[in-house]
Amino acid sequence: MNDILLEIKGLHASVEGKEILRGIDLVIRRGEIHAVMGPNGAGKSTLSAVLAGKPGYEVTSGEIVFDGKDLLELSPEERSWAGIFLSFQYPIEIPGVTITNFMKAAVDAHRKAKGEEPLSAGGFLRLMKEKMALVQMKGEFAKRDVNAGFSGGEKKRCEIFQMAMLDPVLSILDETDSGLDVDALRIVSDGVNALHTPEKSAIVITHYKRLLDYIVPDVVHVLKAGKIVATGGRELVEIIENEGYDKF
Amino acid sequence: MRDMTSSEKVFVIGPDQISALPPERFSVGTGEELRVVLVVLPGVSPVIPMTFDLVGEGASVRVSALYLAAGSGKVRFDVLMHHRAPHTTSTQLFNGIAGGEASTVFSGRIIIDEGTFGIDAGQENHNILVSDRARAESDPQLEIYADDVKCSHGATVGRLDEQEQFYMRSRGIPEDEARFLQLLSFASPVLQSLPDHCREAVSSRVSSAIRSLLAQ
Repeated sequence: MNDILLEIKGLHASVEGKEILRGIDLVIRRGEIHAVMGPNGAGKSTLSAVLAGKPGYEVTSGEIVFDGKDLLELSPEERSWAGIFLSFQYPIEIPGVTITNFMKAAVDAHRKAKGEEPLSAGGFLRLMKEKMALVQMKGEFAKRDVNAGFSGGEKKRCEIFQMAMLDPVLSILDETDSGLDVDALRIVSDGVNALHTPEKSAIVITHYKRLLDYIVPDVVHVLKAGKIVATGGRELVEIIENEGYDKF
Repeated sequence: MRDMTSSEKVFVIGPDQISALPPERFSVGTGEELRVVLVVLPGVSPVIPMTFDLVGEGASVRVSALYLAAGSGKVRFDVLMHHRAPHTTSTQLFNGIAGGEASTVFSGRIIIDEGTFGIDAGQENHNILVSDRARAESDPQLEIYADDVKCSHGATVGRLDEQEQFYMRSRGIPEDEARFLQLLSFASPVLQSLPDHCREAVSSRVSSAIRSLLAQ
């Protein structure tokens, strides 16, 4: 098994004709947690959208190899089956679709992609219960519509619950700390840490040091104006905290 | 106080399951409550005129309709909700889905007579187009000749939400399945208003109709 899980080479990407990413190079090895920090408008969310295959984000040059595959050739659902998970900065509300039905469709599709039979109803409900407990979601959430009327903290917990259900190899947490109080931040971080193994990697996108006190990165990148302008260890987090992004 | 008398009528209109079209006129008297659920499945092109006369004090009408049009189907509703007596209430929910080259029209008129009061009337018509050539028209008309009236209406024609679709696909739900779930959720408020004895059977027909509509 190749040690490198994700390799981004010379990535340029545009949204509505405007170039946002201007040459990103990034290598993530299995087991590593990378933090991507940067000011507003640096391209952090664009990077996560491009990795997840969001329509409307055009890659104008460069390549992304994920687990030996050409990622840019894959549809969003194929990327999910391949083991990529994006925790949304603003999770989408889907009134009329319950969390149970939503996750059943997702888990069944993942199993089908692996050539496995759908889980039995009982097996699926047990899995739901186990993973909901991980982020302290009450059982009644299973019957609620996806994110509809959820508080900010509930939405983020629901994201990590979905991550636990789908068991990704690469998790991308896009500003998962935004809108969270200290308790919710701890619950969400504990969930993420509990799911981390030596084979799995994560990209943690954030403005602030706060989340990185809980989810400790191996490598830290500073993204500014669509480029990675600095890469280092945890010491970079302190420098940013003390001196801001201007110095980069 | 008089007891409310409540009645419930279900009409499912489709190529191989024709309950007759609804009657053209419903008269709802004092203290009566009428609930009507209509489901139009693809494969038929009905014109459905319905007049609801709320003639007695305290009369109440609730209409929920789901109409699916596919191929070259045409579905047309001409609804008149006529509030002729005080303290009458009506709610209307008409949700339409059009695919293929189908076209649908919802023409909904609410009349509130002079001399009435304490009226509460609501009308919603929402449409989702699942193909480029499908058409939906919504034509609400309000004629209010009284003062003490609460009257609301809302009409939308749109396409499936792409943010929702991407969210579902990012969880591994294939695009077709995502669209299916979106349409089912759009249909859900009407299906939920079906009486227990037929909800499951009608929902399952709607669910296969949605799948075939998406396959067009």
